[in-house]
Amino acid sequence: MKLHSPLITPRRWPDMSRRLLRWLDQYLVMVSLLVIILTFTLAAENFLSYGTLSAILNQLPALTLVTVGMTFVLICGGIDLSVGSVLALSAAVIGVTVAAGFSIPVAALAGVATGAVAGLVNGLLGSYLRLPVFIVTLGMLEAARGFAYLITDSQTVYIGSAIQGLVQPIPWLALTPAFLCALVVVAVAHFVLTATVFGRHIIAVGTNPEAARMSGIDPKLTLLIVLCISGVLAGLAGLMNSAYLGSTDPNAGLGLELAAIAAAVIGGTSLMGGRGSIFSAFIGVLIIAVLQNGLAQIGVSEPFKRVVTGVVIVLAVVLDRWRADRVP
Amino acid sequence: MIAQRKFFRASRAKCFLVIAVAIMFGCADSSVPAKAADTPPKVALIMKSLANEFFVNMQRAAEAHQAERADIYTLVANGIKNESDLAQQVALVDQMIARGVDAIVIAPADSRALVPALVRAMQSGIHVVNIDNRLATEVLAEYNANIPYIGPSNRQGARLVAEYVLAQHEAGSEVFILEGIPTAANAKERKAGFEDAVAAADMALVGSQSGAWDQTQAAQITAAVLNRYPNLKAILAANDNMALGAASAVKLADRDDLSIAGFDNISAVHPLMREGRIDATVDQYGAQFAIFGIEFALEMIAGQTQMTDRTTAVKLVTPADLDQ
Repeated sequence: MKLHSPLITPRRWPDMSRRLLRWLDQYLVMVSLLVIILTFTLAAENFLSYGTLSAILNQLPALTLVTVGMTFVLICGGIDLSVGSVLALSAAVIGVTVAAGFSIPVAALAGVATGAVAGLVNGLLGSYLRLPVFIVTLGMLEAARGFAYLITDSQTVYIGSAIQGLVQPIPWLALTPAFLCALVVVAVAHFVLTATVFGRHIIAVGTNPEAARMSGIDPKLTLLIVLCISGVLAGLAGLMNSAYLGSTDPNAGLGLELAAIAAAVIGGTSLMGGRGSIFSAFIGVLIIAVLQNGLAQIGVSEPFKRVVTGVVIVLAVVLDRWRADRVP
Repeated sequence: MIAQRKFFRASRAKCFLVIAVAIMFGCADSSVPAKAADTPPKVALIMKSLANEFFVNMQRAAEAHQAERADIYTLVANGIKNESDLAQQVALVDQMIARGVDAIVIAPADSRALVPALVRAMQSGIHVVNIDNRLATEVLAEYNANIPYIGPSNRQGARLVAEYVLAQHEAGSEVFILEGIPTAANAKERKAGFEDAVAAADMALVGSQSGAWDQTQAAQITAAVLNRYPNLKAILAANDNMALGAASAVKLADRDDLSIAGFDNISAVHPLMREGRIDATVDQYGAQFAIFGIEFALEMIAGQTQMTDRTTAVKLVTPADLDQ
């Protein structure tokens, strides 16, 4: 007995596949992440374990915070190349302050304040002196790194285990305070971007600063605030990195700006401004972290690691472009 | 007519260029013998990575050495900002040639890429001494150049520290190596020394990856490797910064049964050695390297020395050494 009429099937199939495609469209980044996790699970024993999870969670906070800041700046139509150096400078300030005998909270505050000052300088030069943000933050990349070497005397400063409380898992949660802090920042930033007037302003300025100005938004002030946020988050990332390592290294965060841009772009953020999502950028961070961890567990050679990372970044953007073309 | 004028203008510009170049060469040629006459010889010290405490200390020691011997030689010290900035270091060599120094003492950022520039220096009559990272012998042979290497045996030092650490574990234990930047000769030598010790102690080497001399990268790799090999017993790190990174990853994974070896004896590892989180490191008297190189260069300038390599001392540093 025939249960299905032959007439119905051909009409249902395209419907199903279209729904599947739409679902894929929406969660493309997450699907990519799952595919990568699955690949490593098959390729390396012990990959799908609590140990891997905690290793990844421990190394996430710094890149997550920096990426959130970077995503804001990119959506606003700017770019912040200084985040890696600002991270190192903030970490250096923390190390030197602790070595001078101050308590950890005071040092942490000094570190975050350093990031805020760097962001403020970037913002003032970039928006009110109308210098290209690319150049201003490139200058900051050099200058902040130089200051980091100066104040640490180019030495690795040992802080000790007191600061590592931030990366010890909370017993009943199995998550670290550092990771929770990063999650809170992601949630707040996502809320700010999607549900507040200021978030709309950022997107408007990134899409068309002139149109934004005509409609009563101050593009300079918006960019200034966004660059400050990026600086503060880089400072906070410096604190997280110091906590992770129990010491501060003036070479920390070399090339981190590129990893943050990659994570943001993997998450669908447009380098031209006006488009992007904090949550997807966070998934981008997860993709990079899982990739790093998985490749180290398999034990592939250094050159091959770089090739794979590069291919994944470009592939993610190709997929994103394909999606953007299909969804008008 | 116009074409002719253009031709004249172009050829005038060319003439000018030729004359300018000739003058530059003339100056360079005449300046070398003029200076060698009575003023003390000028020694250029070209360091790599002034971002690294190790090289900063080396440069300071050299400057102190020169300050005491100001009548014997003058010192021009320069460095690049990080170890991968090759172009900048080659440019420094060329600038020192232009400045007409008598000798160059160099810690090359790369064991191959610097050779052509150093050969240029030798061709303009400058004595060249290689410290820290040994220049690749096959590239030197290709240029038919003999540049003496003054420094420790990295391989011997690595073997020394690895043997001490591995002696705490029974044969067959799992061991992992954190290499430096794979293209650097000292990274290769240290890795070879670690491998010698692993083979001699009959251990199981489960892997070797590059942490690029960097703390954060070393921590991330160690975290991943600890999951992959739950029975890992020892990590041999090719420098102390990577040992610090490995120690923090080991602590976060709650694995206090692991041994970690470092290399360089920087001050930041001492607290961890006292806490028992890093087991040993190697002091190759890095701060003295530049001085050894400079003294050798002065002997060369005076014509007192053979153009052969000279090996300097290395010393194992354990927690017991710190209290003295």
